[in-house]
Amino acid sequence: MSAQIEEAAATGPAPRIGKGGAAPPRRGRGGGAGSVPYLLILPTVAAVVLLLGWTLVKNGLLSFQNLNKRQLIQRVTEWTGVDNYDTVLRSSEFWHVTGRSVVFTAANVVLIMAVGCLIGLLLARLGTKLRLLLSLGLVLAWAMPVVAATTVFQWLFDQRFGVVNYLLDALGWHSMAGYNWTSGQFSTFFVITVLIVWQSVPFVAINLYAATTTIPKELYEAASLDGAGTWKQFTSVTFPFLKPFFLATTFLEVIWVFKAFTQVFAINEGGPDRLTETLPVYAFQEGMGSQHFGMGAAISILTIVILLALTAYYLRLVLKQEEDEL
Amino acid sequence: MKRGLIAATGVVAMMVSVAACGSSDSDKGSADGGSKGKSLTVWFMDGSNPPGWTKAVQAEFEQKTGAKLNVQVQKWDGIQQKLTTALSESSPPDVVEIGNTQTPSYAQTGGLAQLDDLKKEIGGDWTESLNKPSVFEGKQYAAPWYAASRVVIYNKKVWADAGIKDTPKTRDEFFKDLEAIQQKGDAEPLYLPGQNWYFFDGLTIGTGADLVKKDGKKYVSNLADPKVAKAMEIYKKYQSFSKAPKDKDEATPQQADVFAKGKTGAFIGMGWEAATAVKANPEIEKEIGYFTIPGETADKPEGVFLGGSNLAISEGSKKKDLAKEFLKITLSDKNEGALAKEVGSLPNKDALLPSLKGQPAAEAAAPAAKTGGTTPLIPEWANVENAPNPIKAYMTAVLGGKSPEEAAKQVEGDMNKRLAQKQ
Amino acid sequence: MRRTLPRTVSRVWPGATAIALFAVFAFPVYWMFATAFKANKDIVSDTPVWFPTSPTFEHFDKAVSADGFWTFVGNSLTVTLVAVALSLVIALLASFAVARMRFKGRKSFILVMMMAQMAPWEVMVIAYYMIVRDVDMLNSLPPLIAIYTVMVLPFTVLTLRGYVAAVPKELEESAMVDGCTRTQAFIKVIFPLLAPGLMATSLFGFITVWNEFPMVLILNKDPGSQTLPLWLTGFRTTFGDDWGATMAASSLFAIPILVLFVILQRKAVGGLTSGAVKG
Repeated sequence: MSAQIEEAAATGPAPRIGKGGAAPPRRGRGGGAGSVPYLLILPTVAAVVLLLGWTLVKNGLLSFQNLNKRQLIQRVTEWTGVDNYDTVLRSSEFWHVTGRSVVFTAANVVLIMAVGCLIGLLLARLGTKLRLLLSLGLVLAWAMPVVAATTVFQWLFDQRFGVVNYLLDALGWHSMAGYNWTSGQFSTFFVITVLIVWQSVPFVAINLYAATTTIPKELYEAASLDGAGTWKQFTSVTFPFLKPFFLATTFLEVIWVFKAFTQVFAINEGGPDRLTETLPVYAFQEGMGSQHFGMGAAISILTIVILLALTAYYLRLVLKQEEDEL
Repeated sequence: MKRGLIAATGVVAMMVSVAACGSSDSDKGSADGGSKGKSLTVWFMDGSNPPGWTKAVQAEFEQKTGAKLNVQVQKWDGIQQKLTTALSESSPPDVVEIGNTQTPSYAQTGGLAQLDDLKKEIGGDWTESLNKPSVFEGKQYAAPWYAASRVVIYNKKVWADAGIKDTPKTRDEFFKDLEAIQQKGDAEPLYLPGQNWYFFDGLTIGTGADLVKKDGKKYVSNLADPKVAKAMEIYKKYQSFSKAPKDKDEATPQQADVFAKGKTGAFIGMGWEAATAVKANPEIEKEIGYFTIPGETADKPEGVFLGGSNLAISEGSKKKDLAKEFLKITLSDKNEGALAKEVGSLPNKDALLPSLKGQPAAEAAAPAAKTGGTTPLIPEWANVENAPNPIKAYMTAVLGGKSPEEAAKQVEGDMNKRLAQKQ
Repeated sequence: MRRTLPRTVSRVWPGATAIALFAVFAFPVYWMFATAFKANKDIVSDTPVWFPTSPTFEHFDKAVSADGFWTFVGNSLTVTLVAVALSLVIALLASFAVARMRFKGRKSFILVMMMAQMAPWEVMVIAYYMIVRDVDMLNSLPPLIAIYTVMVLPFTVLTLRGYVAAVPKELEESAMVDGCTRTQAFIKVIFPLLAPGLMATSLFGFITVWNEFPMVLILNKDPGSQTLPLWLTGFRTTFGDDWGATMAASSLFAIPILVLFVILQRKAVGGLTSGAVKG
């Protein structure tokens, strides 16, 4: 988690702190140590191939099958070719959901990164006591298990006795007394977004703070001698220095938000009128919910493809940079 | 059925431990060799098995067969996936409870054992309408266990305060009474959320509407039918007396819990939901009354949805004979009668109806049973009710101001897709 | 304005903002606990009761007395601890290779780890189910442990790689100069420095595994092998509008993770930054 900074630092062009500007890579002991590295990664590779790869293949096979209650119970296999994909790709519903997922992810990630960075920078300016206090609040939000958090947010936004409606009413927005947050698409998304941002910001903020402490003070001093203000300091020192951190974190947040299932599902089960279904929820409803498992598998494969497309830029960047590693 | 039963779960929540205390001494009794030492696994749904009754049935079964009965109470979350996957396993539960609207779709899966001989032996006088869902292509795949229909549960004090002397005999009288309570202004006349879909299903039965129609070989949505629209208008009129959310069903929040606060004139629910209310607020017990949902005219009560549960034996069970023994015991007149008495549900044969005497909820439900109906009895139907149920979306749309025609159009695509889903 | 106010304002605003933010972030957690301790009449009241003035344990009683609660606790602990420990051990080996060694396929390995994080678990449940069913291991904990281990493994590898890289190579080398073998150097020098990193990384694993429920819902239908998230979600449907009981259950569910985070997080961040700056 916090190590993300290091991970990022290791993948980026920024000055390497961790390695203390170590000399150019040495061949020999540190380098191509024969079979040792392969033995070391063997358990990971084996586990991932057996338990994830195999299942992905199985899932891929299912996506070409007509697999419903009857076939599952009788354990029969009915191949249908690309029927499932054909149906999904032709349905306007799927494309709506995809578009919605992308917009939803973008909005959330932007909010998370912006708010997270601001709070991270604030942490750096605080005295020890206040910093501890704010960190505690952040850690509490961060640590809340999703299942518990969604329950709590349903209670906070409860129509009749929810504290949010009470506060809005008390603050003078009287039409919000008794407001039903799950009655509309936008308001439902609003609640989901607040929940996700609330849970994700601490990760960004705390890591950003930890990362800023690794920036040499001299850089800031030099910047302020040049008359740079807070904003200028951020753009000319902090941001370039931590660019790999931002990229890596954004990448992770894109994956996490895009894949967010429990939050979206639990708040309103994709309602009203299926208008808040994101791709994972849609795949779940179409596959598990309607026991149309082959269809669900097809949608899940498409989900992976879309996620790969969304993160292709970063993956390429990583690939390129890994070449100059070590 | 699902929601109705969920509503009942509050009652049973405190007593589900019954299942756990199955430490029977199976050596006792007249065990006939073969079954001794065996154990039979039964899935009951959370809320279906009242404690006293379950204990008695368990004791009787273990005494008679010498086998052990392992009752597993299943939660409602993801029950369909759980049931489907369980039936596909090499050692599935031997006996499962299946809601009547789900039964046809499971009958065609091959996961349920045929029970034609059992039907011949003990099912000669099962009520025809209750048995229908269990029959698929002429063969018996489950046995009717119990049924229940909705009644009006009302708060006598609220009604008396509004100056109402008698319970209504027609729908118009009912509306007048609700208006009177509204005028009085102390209480919400009726608690009816926008998605009490089984109440709506009853109204469509009342107007003689069909929810699906045949289009060639396929079934398609028939929501645009004026008879459905008429039923929805009636629902809308009822709903106008309630402040309940239009986009929620009767289980979120539990309507009985709302009623328990004493600020609600009435709600439409299963008889046993009253117990949930009493549990939440014991004070309310003496105020609770029941009556049949009145129809258009006094001679014919409103159409109701006959929810119910069936018991089936899994095809993969290795103890089918023992499982049949269990069904015979569970469905015996004695135990059917006892269940009806304990929770006020309708027994699986008319001959047992007298055992409902003195059970006010059941007495209120009984008159409507004859005019009751179910959801369309086709295997495809289960897909429609999978969350998110498009009919609920239809209801919310109409209550939100759309015309029934528009709303029907809005959900038609989803509904037809579900009906056409490959089996 | 800019002349007269800035000094006080610029001194006060960070603190004020920090306190406000603390309130925003901590409130939902506070409200969960507060609700759990309140009597019902204080929960459903038109003006919120901000503090549980007469705390009651009634809701907790109700939550704990659910059937099989302690079995679920035991299963959840077993599954979480074993899966997290396994993934840490396996990942540590791999991350060491990736951070310190150059070998063919290294790049593809990293790429695969990144992509593995994208697996949509909720929808792959049925594929997992069929595999576990066919090897006849339903209703047991080992398949769950294995699946959860892989679920958190990619992230763990990538994160630990950063921590390993942050340990100055020179330390390791000087240990080897002193006559240690590479393995000894790793155990004596690097491992202690990695401890905070391992803790920080384990947090992610804990929270992921502790929360998982779509998988266990289908794989383990026998209550004896189920975990706490099922209890919590089942609890929601059973008690519906009973917010006191629901919040009590949520609190019980959240406490272990909250405690773990508050203890480990400071160590982890502190360790990381000091380790990083030293280099």
